[in-house]
Amino acid sequence: MAETAMWDLALDIARRDLLDLWRSKMLLFFFILFPILLMSMFGSIYPPVPKSNANTGIIGTAFPNLPVSLVQMDDGKTANLIAAQFIQISQQQGLFTVSESASYQSARNQLVEGNLKGIIIIPQGFSDALTAGQPATVQITVDETNPTTASVVQSEISAVFNIIGSSMSAQNINNMDGGRVNPTFILQPISVTNIPLITGVSSSFQFLAPGFMALTVITGSLQGVATAISREKEQGTMDGLLVAPISHQSIILGKVAAQTVRGLIQGLLILGLSMVLFGVRIYGSPFIMLIVMVLGTASFVGVGIIMTAVAPDQETAQMMTIILQFPMMFISGILFPIDQLPGWMQYIGKGLPLYYAADALRKVIILNASLTAIMPDVLILIAYTFLTMTLAVPLFERAMRR
Amino acid sequence: MSQRPEPVCKLSRYAIETHGLTKNFNSFTAVDHIDLAVRRGEIYGFLGPNGAGKSTTIRMLCTLLAPTSGSASVDGYDIGKQGNEVRKRIGLVSEKMIMYPRLTALENLMFFGRLYGIDRGALRKKSEELLEMVKLTPFKDKLVGGFSSGMRQRVNVIRAVLHDPDILFLDEPTTGLDPQSTRFVRDLVKELKQRGHTIVLTTHIMEEADELSDRVCIIDNGKIMAVDPPQALKEKYNTNSLLDVFLELTGRELRDSANERISMRAPMGRM
Repeated sequence: MAETAMWDLALDIARRDLLDLWRSKMLLFFFILFPILLMSMFGSIYPPVPKSNANTGIIGTAFPNLPVSLVQMDDGKTANLIAAQFIQISQQQGLFTVSESASYQSARNQLVEGNLKGIIIIPQGFSDALTAGQPATVQITVDETNPTTASVVQSEISAVFNIIGSSMSAQNINNMDGGRVNPTFILQPISVTNIPLITGVSSSFQFLAPGFMALTVITGSLQGVATAISREKEQGTMDGLLVAPISHQSIILGKVAAQTVRGLIQGLLILGLSMVLFGVRIYGSPFIMLIVMVLGTASFVGVGIIMTAVAPDQETAQMMTIILQFPMMFISGILFPIDQLPGWMQYIGKGLPLYYAADALRKVIILNASLTAIMPDVLILIAYTFLTMTLAVPLFERAMRR
Repeated sequence: MSQRPEPVCKLSRYAIETHGLTKNFNSFTAVDHIDLAVRRGEIYGFLGPNGAGKSTTIRMLCTLLAPTSGSASVDGYDIGKQGNEVRKRIGLVSEKMIMYPRLTALENLMFFGRLYGIDRGALRKKSEELLEMVKLTPFKDKLVGGFSSGMRQRVNVIRAVLHDPDILFLDEPTTGLDPQSTRFVRDLVKELKQRGHTIVLTTHIMEEADELSDRVCIIDNGKIMAVDPPQALKEKYNTNSLLDVFLELTGRELRDSANERISMRAPMGRM
């Protein structure tokens, strides 16, 4: 009877685990559905946003075609002209769907009923003021029950009127000066231009996609390994492995290998979907990306094994992984930058490997970072792998002979 | 296996020997200083009420559970220090089927056989031979998940003998089977004895123990109550039913007990 090498055994065990997934069509369906659902959901919440650009007069928006109403209380020529311009720019850039209301009160009622997000009032005397060379004021009311859309509506209305105002100023200067001076020199002597770090459409999703990849790979493997081991313990097949003359390391290695493959499949599905559906682009090396994903998985499976060792049954093990992965989603900089968190939370977030995996993936995917550039992240992930595995292997041995 | 570790006790007459083997779960003593001596080639009926310590003893002998104190050797190898040597020489049929429902019968045998380092060609031949022996050749490529309990148990038993273990532990192999399958498995156990395996058999069916065992060991509360051939026991207690002997030795009260930690930790009857 020849001794089968540890790696050979691990491979056999991994192959069986994957075959198990392949043969359970329902499980496979949900396994594939999960990243699709996650991506479609978040991809639709954070759609690609064109960059705002003051020079070209483009106002990027994440909330297109918000309903607003225009209340025109001045029927002077200038007021009519400006109202028409407002409607034109809003619709051209897809910012607002503009309706017109006869009075402020009726518009306000509409807003209270939830049919409008904002009201723009051009007050009486607006045209007269401008004709007399005085600045004129547009009044606005926004739906303050939703602070996010309220601030978006407010800033976008201001931006549209800035565009209209600038073009009026330029015309005024031209009229006064006869075209000798460049009006931009008077209106905006200094301008700021952005040299883009990456080309193409920037979207929050470009920031989110690598984070979700890291999240899926890591939590998937954490939960996968915990479930796989405790299920085998409960159904009795673990005894079949433990009663054989093989090292516990090969069992662990096999389980980890299977989970890594599963994690990679889901991670790549997420990436593929975000590229096809939401225009996310990979600027960096796919090879480095794979290295980071494998390291991300490796860094956390040890935690999964520790949980299995501690938990008495599959249900408890699953509950423990959920409790760990849920807050991790919020404090590891997946949904929003970690800098938004209070200091102590940032420390916790930076204590978890998910932060480093997401950070490294983001740098590789968005910024085309080299392996050297993400070395600190990589080293931390490797350190995590060693640390958790060192704890996990003896704990597993003890738990299995308890 | 050129550099084979030396057995701790050479030329032992016994396939299994234990000395003061004990297992505590917190304050509960599941197995209490038992001394066993299982002879080579015999079927050793290991009997006792629920919670008597049968499965705990078997799990310790299979190196699945660490003893609290005492020592034990299996085929001459120490279960604590030479676990791997022990594992090479034993086969286990536990109360739970050791089998993956989403693998076919043949795939299950191939998977578990590989764990013993048997090369694929020989393993396949052996698996097919054993499947033929248990009359499952027509079902070898069907998923085990769709098998009846009797079919599953037949695969489960041959899985345990793929590597020709010297010693076979059968923990309630006929529980839940229909009469036909029960008959088949019992004949299979006899056949395995003929092939030279030493068999430790636990069962709650006294008639089964009587039919199959060369000797029976009755334990209760973790202690050995009697060890003898069934016939000798029946004569001693002046009865022709092993069940009467069993009840005489272990009492007639119901064995209801609940130890919270153990019932959680050992849902598969490790007590």
